[in-house]
Amino acid sequence: MNEPLKWYEKNGPQGDVAVSVRVRLARNLQGYPFPGRLNDAGKKQVLEVIKEAVLGPNSLFAGVFAWVPVSSLSRTAAVSLVERHLVSPEFISRPQGRALLLSKDESIAVMINEEDHIRIQVLQEGLSLKEAWKTASRLDDALNERLSFAFDPRLGYLTQSPIDLGTGMRASLVLHLPAMEESGVIGRTASNLSKLGLSLQSAWGEGEEATGCLYQLSNRVTLGLSEEEALSNLETIAMQLLRQERGAREKLMQRLDTQDTVARSLGILQNARLLGQGECLKLLSNVRLGAACGFLKGVSLGTLNSLLVLTQPATLRLPSGQEELPGEEQELLRARLVRRMLANRVEMPEEI
Amino acid sequence: MICQHCGKNPATTRIKRIVNGQLSETAICSDCARKMGYGPLLGDWSLPLGSLLGGLMEEEAEPEIRCKGCGITFEEITRTGRVGCAQCYQTFGQRLSPMIQRIHGNTSHRGKSPAKAQLTLQPQTGMRVVPQKTSLLEEKEKQLRQAVEEQNFELAVVLRDEIKAMKEGKNHE
Ligand SMILES: [Zn+2]
Ligand SMILES: [Zn+2]
Repeated sequence: MNEPLKWYEKNGPQGDVAVSVRVRLARNLQGYPFPGRLNDAGKKQVLEVIKEAVLGPNSLFAGVFAWVPVSSLSRTAAVSLVERHLVSPEFISRPQGRALLLSKDESIAVMINEEDHIRIQVLQEGLSLKEAWKTASRLDDALNERLSFAFDPRLGYLTQSPIDLGTGMRASLVLHLPAMEESGVIGRTASNLSKLGLSLQSAWGEGEEATGCLYQLSNRVTLGLSEEEALSNLETIAMQLLRQERGAREKLMQRLDTQDTVARSLGILQNARLLGQGECLKLLSNVRLGAACGFLKGVSLGTLNSLLVLTQPATLRLPSGQEELPGEEQELLRARLVRRMLANRVEMPEEI
Repeated sequence: MICQHCGKNPATTRIKRIVNGQLSETAICSDCARKMGYGPLLGDWSLPLGSLLGGLMEEEAEPEIRCKGCGITFEEITRTGRVGCAQCYQTFGQRLSPMIQRIHGNTSHRGKSPAKAQLTLQPQTGMRVVPQKTSLLEEKEKQLRQAVEEQNFELAVVLRDEIKAMKEGKNHE
């Protein structure tokens, strides 16, 4: 057991509500057209230049990063990267000329030749925005030692999409908001936030699909604000949402019907023989609410966080080496994994 | 092609999502794209910029200019919503600027600058060359101390090796 825990297997600061944070920086090399204007040969050249800079002789990063050409991955492995939030669906849709630099704990993932030549991403558990930014910025500096980035003093870092001009930074938080969702205030909150240049949207699935009450809060403004300012804004708003959610949870958890739902959800997760993805997500969300409020004792938020990631279809079937699994087999695997990880004895208060 | 989501408007964007463990591509209209906000955790990764720019540039009918850096025309940029290369921002600067203002407002960059651009021209100081940073080596040594303090050993290893390489003077230029 020397494998370091993956970032998504841990619980971080403000972890009762804040599940994870991601900071992404867009960078482009000087002297090469952006990826959209590069043919396969051009993309390959960019790959080589970056690979040489990062892992070449006199390497500073060997041992830190694995070099993963997207074309070397099976379909399932590629989709699993998306499920683990390490790459975008766009990134794996055209594997040619694209590669990923991935750190061992999967907390640093650098996409090469996605929208921009380089997209540094740092992922962390909990509300660790500033820490994630620091790591991203230092990696940026380190890469910049050997690579020249396209930059304009007025427009900032030059990007393929003008939307990212300036800092090229997009910071986002995944928040678990079951109580706010229950009280029906998410829609209004989201539209208020958009006026402040922030977006709040479903983080997991969309529309009628189960969402597990997980929402993504992110900054939209990249030009005219420094990175620190953008992060402070985001953090201030996040803390307000956290307070609002905690207040609503306190009331919600006092209700007998909520306690019943939470306890039953745990019962199903601990005993089910077949578990669909949507059902599983909904039940995990209920149990997470109970655990975060201290109603369920003995279920760790870290375990629940990793289950959210590991029960997704491609990640679930990855160890089996199969590109596809019949529905029932998939549900069986999921139920087995959940039972094993939630096998601990859980205590909860007597009803009054 | 008609939007695969609402079945009404013409599709303008292809979105890529993960549905039940498989990559799926859907052609949708700009309305639906905005409403949906896109895929699992990745809503911020792409925007239907083409639709954002459409309409803004219709009256343009100038002789075709191509960017020397990448060969793209302005028409292609507005159609795809993607700029071809860094040089495009100069070549088409005037025509891009209303669009950039529409997205960001009338403002300019206030974030970090590349460490490598240690000397930059500052227009407001009469194009004087102004040093931007203290020694990169000093900065790195400071970062290393901090990384060790914070027990960020992964980073510390990187920084230590970088400092070593810099001191041995064999890493760049
Ligand atoms: Zn539509
Ligand atoms: Zn160009």
